[in-house]
Amino acid sequence: MERDIPTYSLLLLIVFVMIPFTIAYIYQLGLKKDIIWSTIRGTLQLFLIGLILTYLFDLPPLVGIPIMLSVMILVATFHARKKGKELPYIFITILVGLIGVEIIVLSMWLGFGMISFTPEEVIPMSGMVIGNSMVAMGLALERLKSEFEQNRGKLLAALSLGATPKHAAHMSIKKTLNASLIPNIDQLKTIGLVQLPGMMTGLILGGVAPIIAIKYQLVISISIFSSVSLSAIFISMVMYRFFFNKQMQLLNLQDIKKNG
Amino acid sequence: MNEVIFQFNQVNRLVLKDITFTLREEDRLIIFGSSGAGKSTLLHLFNRMDDPDYGEVLFHNKRIEQYDIPQLRRSVGLVLQQPHLFPDTVLDNLKFGPSMFDDWEEGRAERLMNYVNLPIDYINKSVDELSGGEKQRVSLARTLANKPDVLLLDEPTSALDDRNIEAIEEDLIKLIEHNRLTVVMITHSMDQAKRIGTKGLYIEEGQVIEYGDLNQLLENPNTDQLKQFLHKS
Ligand SMILES: Nc1ncnc2c1ncn2[C@@H]1O[C@H](COP(=O)(O)OP(=O)(O)OP(=O)(O)O)[C@@H](O)[C@H]1O
Ligand SMILES: [Mg+2]
Repeated sequence: MERDIPTYSLLLLIVFVMIPFTIAYIYQLGLKKDIIWSTIRGTLQLFLIGLILTYLFDLPPLVGIPIMLSVMILVATFHARKKGKELPYIFITILVGLIGVEIIVLSMWLGFGMISFTPEEVIPMSGMVIGNSMVAMGLALERLKSEFEQNRGKLLAALSLGATPKHAAHMSIKKTLNASLIPNIDQLKTIGLVQLPGMMTGLILGGVAPIIAIKYQLVISISIFSSVSLSAIFISMVMYRFFFNKQMQLLNLQDIKKNG
Repeated sequence: MNEVIFQFNQVNRLVLKDITFTLREEDRLIIFGSSGAGKSTLLHLFNRMDDPDYGEVLFHNKRIEQYDIPQLRRSVGLVLQQPHLFPDTVLDNLKFGPSMFDDWEEGRAERLMNYVNLPIDYINKSVDELSGGEKQRVSLARTLANKPDVLLLDEPTSALDDRNIEAIEEDLIKLIEHNRLTVVMITHSMDQAKRIGTKGLYIEEGQVIEYGDLNQLLENPNTDQLKQFLHKS
């Protein structure tokens, strides 16, 4: 069964956009431009993606899938990089991390026959994994920087007691990982209870039987959980060392780029 | 006996200009001068928490860069101005250094707590439960746990009230003598300097103004600058 939303009814969405817009207007929150702009931009982006996807889905999988994955990973890398501008090799590290994560999940999906190598399955599933990994890397980077900022004194104390950078940074890395993974763990715990996960919702709306939708959801939830954890661990483990120089001295955030 | 431990030759770093002096085994050197003079910067060169831009630092007559950094920091212990304890128990803090070098035995905690005059049953307390003075004592004990030969102190009592200062000073003098430690200490208090130090290094704007026997410096300053500094403090 093919479902579709009549185009005219999409126009009704404008009513929904008007609600926050009106509130912003009444309380003078100064968000007016932002709301209008994000709505227009979001709508155009989605339609554009829809058009591109239609075209790419028609290409042979071995051509279309790599193109789409590359674009997704590049966009995600550019985005996550902003959270670690001060750090050297940040672009290449995130890029390598995302490619690695994608290769791992894709091999698992295909190797165990969970999905087939078609754009319809690979692209949305990969999109979710890459998107979540991107967010996780950004969170971990922000957290890592603030941990190092807040714990300067303790890090200096550890180094002056003879600790290597790795040993000294252990506590900060641990806290970074905890903080970046907790939202994810919570989500996994309440899955299906608080909110029906996005993918399941989509499949059920698309006419797939709930039990099959659940199987897909299980695959994607666990894939996201593992890849988010992997991403946060990878980025923290690679990046912490740039906060120190070769002489095992702690650097200021603004001196890191020069040193790296 | 009294051999040369540290030798600074024309050392430059940030504000520091051509710093030259010698530190001998039995010295207790007091570094003093106005705020921003470069005292902490100088202190951090002794255990390579920082490195000179020019000039050389010799440790036991060898360039300091030739030593393994963790080992150097272990034998040249630094106590920071603030305690900066790790958020664990007192015992975890004391063991932090030694456990990295596989050098911890049961009796050591008791000996350390004794040195810094804290009750032994404090070792299982979490550091959050300690007062400011107690934290500074644990910080001192944590550095001593590494059995350093040289002790670097950056205004170790500046965050404490008078009563605590006197008590820690006494313990400090005792443990310095007992362990025959070479000491380099920054302080703003000339009274404290007199009670603990033997040698003095007076710096302003990164330059050594006077250097020598501490009593000599304090009783008979050679420069107007030091005279004024002592007058003010
Ligand atoms: N990382 C740095 N980069 C640039 N300048 C610095 C840096 N650290 C310190 N300085 C500057 O070097 C000078 C000496 O600083 P230092 O901390 O050694 O002074 P100090 O004598 O210990 O002062 P205080 O008595 O206030 O502790 C100061 O002017 C300080 O602003
Ligand atoms: Mg200082």
